[in-house]
Amino acid sequence: MRRLRTLKVMITAHSLTKRYGATTAVDNLTFEVPPGEVTGFLGPNGSGKSTTMRMTMGLDVPDSGTALIGGQPYCELAWPLREVGGLLDAKAIHPSRTARNHLRWLALANDIPVRRVDEVLDQVGLTSAAGRRAGKFSLGMSQRLGIAAALLGDPGVLLFDEPVNGLDPEGIRWVRQFLRSLAAEGRTVFVSSHLISEMSLTADRLIVIGRGRLIAETSVADFVARGGPGTVKLVTPDEARFTAALTASGATVAAGAGGSLTVEGLTAPHIGDVAAREGLRIHELTPLAASLEDAFMELTQDEVEYRPTMMAGVAGGAKE
Amino acid sequence: MTQAIQTIPTGHYRLKDTVKSEVAKIVTLPSTAIALGVTVVFCLLVTGLVANSALHHGPDWYGGLLITGEYSSGTIRATLSATPRRPILLTAKIAVTAAVTVAFSVLLSFVTFFLGQAILSGGGAPSAGLGSPGAFRAVVMTGLFIALLALMAFGFGLLFRSTAGAIGAFVGVVFVLPLVIRGISEPATRYVPTNILINSVMSTVNQGGIVRPLSAPVGLALMAVYAVIALAAGAALFIKRDA
Repeated sequence: MRRLRTLKVMITAHSLTKRYGATTAVDNLTFEVPPGEVTGFLGPNGSGKSTTMRMTMGLDVPDSGTALIGGQPYCELAWPLREVGGLLDAKAIHPSRTARNHLRWLALANDIPVRRVDEVLDQVGLTSAAGRRAGKFSLGMSQRLGIAAALLGDPGVLLFDEPVNGLDPEGIRWVRQFLRSLAAEGRTVFVSSHLISEMSLTADRLIVIGRGRLIAETSVADFVARGGPGTVKLVTPDEARFTAALTASGATVAAGAGGSLTVEGLTAPHIGDVAAREGLRIHELTPLAASLEDAFMELTQDEVEYRPTMMAGVAGGAKE
Repeated sequence: MTQAIQTIPTGHYRLKDTVKSEVAKIVTLPSTAIALGVTVVFCLLVTGLVANSALHHGPDWYGGLLITGEYSSGTIRATLSATPRRPILLTAKIAVTAAVTVAFSVLLSFVTFFLGQAILSGGGAPSAGLGSPGAFRAVVMTGLFIALLALMAFGFGLLFRSTAGAIGAFVGVVFVLPLVIRGISEPATRYVPTNILINSVMSTVNQGGIVRPLSAPVGLALMAVYAVIALAAGAALFIKRDA
């Protein structure tokens, strides 16, 4: 007997909180991960990404709040591996078991047809290494084996914790395209990273956290826009006079490498107008869009600045 | 390529799926063959040397290793992602560990018995056969006793989650604690696992020491209680604890 089930399953976290002693690793986190898109989970190292993923997979128990998959806690899923595929730690495999045997016991645990083992090994390009011991695998091969394990039950929800860590450029590109194709099939793809540039290429949406707290839940495009209007690169032989004229017009000017200036607060056309008015020479004028990185720095900086006030708010809330 | 639906069986994973998975894990680990093989060779060597049923503690630490190996390699997280209902997982693990250690220990007990007696009779010394009074009982119960020690070690493995911790606790309880108990009360030493094994379970005649040993069935039952206590404590922590 088989039943049809939609792949459209959402991950939802509600007021998720986890403390380790005096440290709050995950702090009142609420977010949604919708199907059909790659949702990036972005935050500096130690910001609570892995803890959040472990709680979502039922490995760690939250102190309060919930993390649900299609409205159910992970521990209550009927066929966990057929519903959720997780890659949390690629090296968490017994080193003396072969790749094929590792996938075989996983398949048996959820009554998954054993032929799937060779299918997923083929899918990640490990067919020729199937009989080798996992302990002899490079980090890149381990990541592939971890991805194979996640795909074993053909699940609608996939969680990957730092899947490109330790991969070479070719491997990184492979993972990126792979995640995109899984989302294109309608699956829910939740992938964490501390690499902002990588997320800008892979993700459609972003959930950004810092110190366990939600900073932003937004599309990649909106997130970049929050980084501000950007700066303009200016190369000129009349550096001193130009700097004075731009500062007088309200811009902030910083000296860059090789006689270039970085101008903030004026657009390129404005800078051109200033040059024409003052008779200054321009050798290069390039508007630089704010990067995801700038947006991220901007936001995490705010997080640090506002921290004392927010802490007070949290403490007050806890007393209620 | 839009795939909006998938098929999934009705019902949910059951204990039999978990047991199959755990069996597949044990048989695919080279360390299983190595651990059991080393134990066999060691026991036969010791039996050959002292011409007596050797104290084979090999299966004990293997019982602990079955769970601590999962923690040291991180496999426990994959195991729990496949079988997140921890009581089901633990039931399967204990059942498989019990089956493997009972089968192996009883077999080993018979092999060492026959070898030991063959050496004794070969040397012209008095020896016993399985038909001798109490011999069959002693051999079977010795096997079961060793399996219970292994299950106690499994409980320690659950408690400590590390091979070093589990072996340390095992050595402490089985070999060090008896010395402490002897210092406090000589008669109490009859309740110590190693003494139960040697004086109650393995022997067929009253060796007439100062301390009257427990009877074999009572000794075996007491060892079962020790194993259950270790397993229950380990299980209580395992079910609640973060992986």
